[in-house]
Amino acid sequence: MAQSWKDNHTLYLVTIGLLAWLVPGAGHYALNDRRRAAVVGAAIILTFLVGLYVGSIGVIDPVGAKPWYVAQIMNSPVVFLLGRLSATGDFPVYGRPNEIGQIYTSTAGLLNLLCIVNAIHLAHLRGIERADD
Amino acid sequence: MTAFNAILLASFTTPMHIGTNPASMLWLLPLLASFVVVYKATKVYRIRAYPFIRESAVLFGSILAFIIVIALVLYGVTWVATEQLPGLLNKSSF
Repeated sequence: MAQSWKDNHTLYLVTIGLLAWLVPGAGHYALNDRRRAAVVGAAIILTFLVGLYVGSIGVIDPVGAKPWYVAQIMNSPVVFLLGRLSATGDFPVYGRPNEIGQIYTSTAGLLNLLCIVNAIHLAHLRGIERADD
Repeated sequence: MTAFNAILLASFTTPMHIGTNPASMLWLLPLLASFVVVYKATKVYRIRAYPFIRESAVLFGSILAFIIVIALVLYGVTWVATEQLPGLLNKSSF
């Protein structure tokens, strides 16, 4: 019985983590923390979009800027698709727009990683509370 | 594709023009605001508009003040190294 609860709990945490990664804020939304989900989602999506607007989708560069790409991928799986588009080399970007775009999109990704961890932590605490009841 | 969609798509496929002037440093402000909002959202127990905005504003101000202090210190070090030090080194002590 205990093993079964632990399995379900792990699956629950993984689902919350995946939801939070798929759409910023969705992890908190699934935990019925809607206000937090709205704040987090709006802030992260806006930061990411500002980064793309400043530097174009060329700032997502899975070939020439791998460390930045690792941080950017934390935003959402959508970054994979943008990275494939950008890898064709049709969207060159240099200089200050490239720097600012990369910083914005990567910071948005790292902030989403913080939110993923936070959502999983909250889900874990609620799982423990449920098990105690 | 409508003209609006074309313009919207084009704005994400062409980079903006941003010069390498001191004003470009102001781009740190929206990023700082975003960082503060997300950080505070993960820290507070319950989000209520007024306390959340107040706490975020305090954190925003604190980080910005620290950035300004660090910038001034670095500017001072650069000023000494590039303006003052060469003059002192050229003078003979004997």
